[in-house]
Amino acid sequence: MYFAEKKYLLILFILAPVLLFSQKAAQSNVFTQQVLDKSTKFDTNPYFAKAKSFFVEKEWDSTLVYTMKELSTKTTKSELTDYCHFIRGISFYEKKVFKEAIKEFAKTADDFEFHNNLLMYLGSIALEQEQFTKAIGYFKKIETFSEQELLGIKKKNIEHNIGLCYLHLKQFPEAEKYLNESVRLHEKDKDTLELVGAYGDLASLYYEQYKDAEAIPYFEKAYGLAKTTNDFLLKQHTANNMAVVEEHRKNYPKSIQYYKEYMIWTDSINDQEKLYALGQAEQKATVEIKQKEVAVLKAENKAKQAELDTYLYSAIILFVMFGVSMYLYREKVKRNKIINTQKEDLDELNATKDKLFSIVSHDLRSSVNAIKTSNKKLMTTIETKDFHKVGNLLQNNSSIVNGAYNLLDNLLNWALLQTKQTRFEISKLRLTSIIDHVAYNYKAILTDKELKFENTISKKEVVYADQESLKIILRNLIDNAIKFTNPNGKITVYTHNDDPDFCQLIIEDTGIGMNETTRLELLKDTTLLAKKQHEDIIGTGLGMQLCKSMIKKNNGTFSIESELGKGTKMMVSLPKMMPS
Amino acid sequence: MENINVLVVEDKPEQSTKLVEILKENNFTISGTATSFREAVDIFYAQNIDIAIIDIFLNGRPDGIAFAEFIDAQPNGLKPFIFLTSATSREIFNRAKLTKPYGYIVKPFNELELIYAIENTIEKFYGQEDSFSAEDENTIISDDNLFIKKGKALKKVNVDDIILIEVEEKYCNIITEKEKFVILISLVKILDLLDTTKFYRTHRNFIVNIRKIEEIIPQDNLILLEGNHSATLSGKYKDIINKFRTLK
Repeated sequence: MYFAEKKYLLILFILAPVLLFSQKAAQSNVFTQQVLDKSTKFDTNPYFAKAKSFFVEKEWDSTLVYTMKELSTKTTKSELTDYCHFIRGISFYEKKVFKEAIKEFAKTADDFEFHNNLLMYLGSIALEQEQFTKAIGYFKKIETFSEQELLGIKKKNIEHNIGLCYLHLKQFPEAEKYLNESVRLHEKDKDTLELVGAYGDLASLYYEQYKDAEAIPYFEKAYGLAKTTNDFLLKQHTANNMAVVEEHRKNYPKSIQYYKEYMIWTDSINDQEKLYALGQAEQKATVEIKQKEVAVLKAENKAKQAELDTYLYSAIILFVMFGVSMYLYREKVKRNKIINTQKEDLDELNATKDKLFSIVSHDLRSSVNAIKTSNKKLMTTIETKDFHKVGNLLQNNSSIVNGAYNLLDNLLNWALLQTKQTRFEISKLRLTSIIDHVAYNYKAILTDKELKFENTISKKEVVYADQESLKIILRNLIDNAIKFTNPNGKITVYTHNDDPDFCQLIIEDTGIGMNETTRLELLKDTTLLAKKQHEDIIGTGLGMQLCKSMIKKNNGTFSIESELGKGTKMMVSLPKMMPS
Repeated sequence: MENINVLVVEDKPEQSTKLVEILKENNFTISGTATSFREAVDIFYAQNIDIAIIDIFLNGRPDGIAFAEFIDAQPNGLKPFIFLTSATSREIFNRAKLTKPYGYIVKPFNELELIYAIENTIEKFYGQEDSFSAEDENTIISDDNLFIKKGKALKKVNVDDIILIEVEEKYCNIITEKEKFVILISLVKILDLLDTTKFYRTHRNFIVNIRKIEEIIPQDNLILLEGNHSATLSGKYKDIINKFRTLK
């Protein structure tokens, strides 16, 4: 138990030289200044100058780098190499790479200016490595030199270190001598921090030898001095030592008080560490928060970019859709226009058809009705056996039927023409024969109406047309001529043959003629004449319409000349050659 | 002169009656009236026929076209024929066209149209168009007959009956055993179309039927023909003598 506690104290004192040495290092400005002053002659070497500046600022790694660079330039002088190695040794020492430090120190020449300092470092290294005898050897070498010769090394430090070595080697009388000397020197210099270490070490020395009575005052001295400093570590060590000491003296309350104090200082240190850790943690947290914020911002940015992209794409899609719909709309409008015009045409055609229907059916109805009444009359007349009257009635009947038949015929041809069902074959036709054939059917009516019919066309006149449609045309024109010519009138059919390509066929009557309005109306396309002033004689206009359509189909042209009361000329031009 | 023999193929009695009536009025001879394809074929083989008038639809079927195809298929007996139709549909027309008809008559037709169609068909069949309808001609010459339009009537004369043709300006005097009549035809055309194995030109104005020659008197420049007819033989055409086998 006791041993363990002793060991506990020992651990403390092993730490002491380090503390001590660091203090020495802290106060080494004198030494550093010495090094700077003595090496100014080498400041022209840029690497060395740099190494020196880093050395002053205790940037050990950089110092090592630049000294190495300096060493690798071959022109360096031997004294400069010594400086370099020396500085490198110090740097390694500070970095606790003792092996390398020793190597570097060994490379310096024996007559190097800072040889003593070098020995001091070597001693310190030996002490750190617990090679106490060796350390004593190094320290003893420089012990005898004066302070000026030692170039910044304090004699009391040497004494102290030797004392420490002896203490570790348990050569207490020697240790006591050196430590006392160092205490004396420290007291002289009033160096509180180092004095505390010296007192502590001296107290440990006595304590080790169970000279408690001598040890305790030193412990108390160390404790008292430590209290005046700001060094928590010193306060902690001294308090701990006091606690152990009081514990051994069985003075527990005091021990506990010291322990508590010790704990406080420990806490203070821990607090400092904690504070530091806390600071670190805080910093870390802040960094994390910042990073998180950055991440969030990044994500936000990304989201925004994505949003922007989405907007862009939507805009493009919308634009395209807009364009397409505009195009479709315009197409639709165009189509609608076409449909509308077609609809109008259709409506017109439909109206025409409806009109045609009503007129045709009306005509047929009246024709059939006329025959009905005529037949009744005929029956009663037959009973009276007035055969002359019967003959007249029959003639009347046949003319009614003829009219109805013509109407139906036209209607049929019209339907065939509209549905393009009829056969159509253009061939060479002898006009006069065709006229004769058509006129043959009107023989009876012509005689009845006492009309003179004359076909003066020569047998040589030839046209190219479809025979059946030409007959339909002629039938209608002759029918009209007969209709609109008063009894004793004359119908002449002849040709004008001035044109090399067309033969103009003229059907001339001496009938009632027509006014300009009617004429123009007749020549208009798709016009059906309603019944007008001439109740009995003006028909549907279907015949004329059919004529125009047929003439057009036969590559011919149609025109009318007329004078009211004098007669009409219907003129049809038909090609003389086979159309290509 | 003889009448033209017409075969009527028509299933509707009123139509065929009307047709026959008109044809008879115009001095045509009716070879027969068929109402079906079968009957038509029978009459075609049994009777002498110059022309056939065929209704496309027989009893609702386009058998008329079938009969036309039958006529077309006769190797030696090919005769001119006319289709009789009501307002035709294009489809039927296209089928009828394949039989190469020489004419159409569209119902309803009148007398003039029918006669004109017959004449036109004969013209086309013998490849001598505008012979009847032109102003300065009225005759078509085939290997067997002359078809002559006399006024409104169409007649035929068997070329074997002709004894002598006397050419005078724009017309020719045709002399047969029984009669003598004038036709309008150019000399060029008559010389071109008459069978040269049967007829010889003996003079600028005379064409004689070789088989009707009874005696040739070269010293008088005279050819005596049957029925006491005679023709002049001019020096330019005297090589006619060499065409006969003469006893030496």
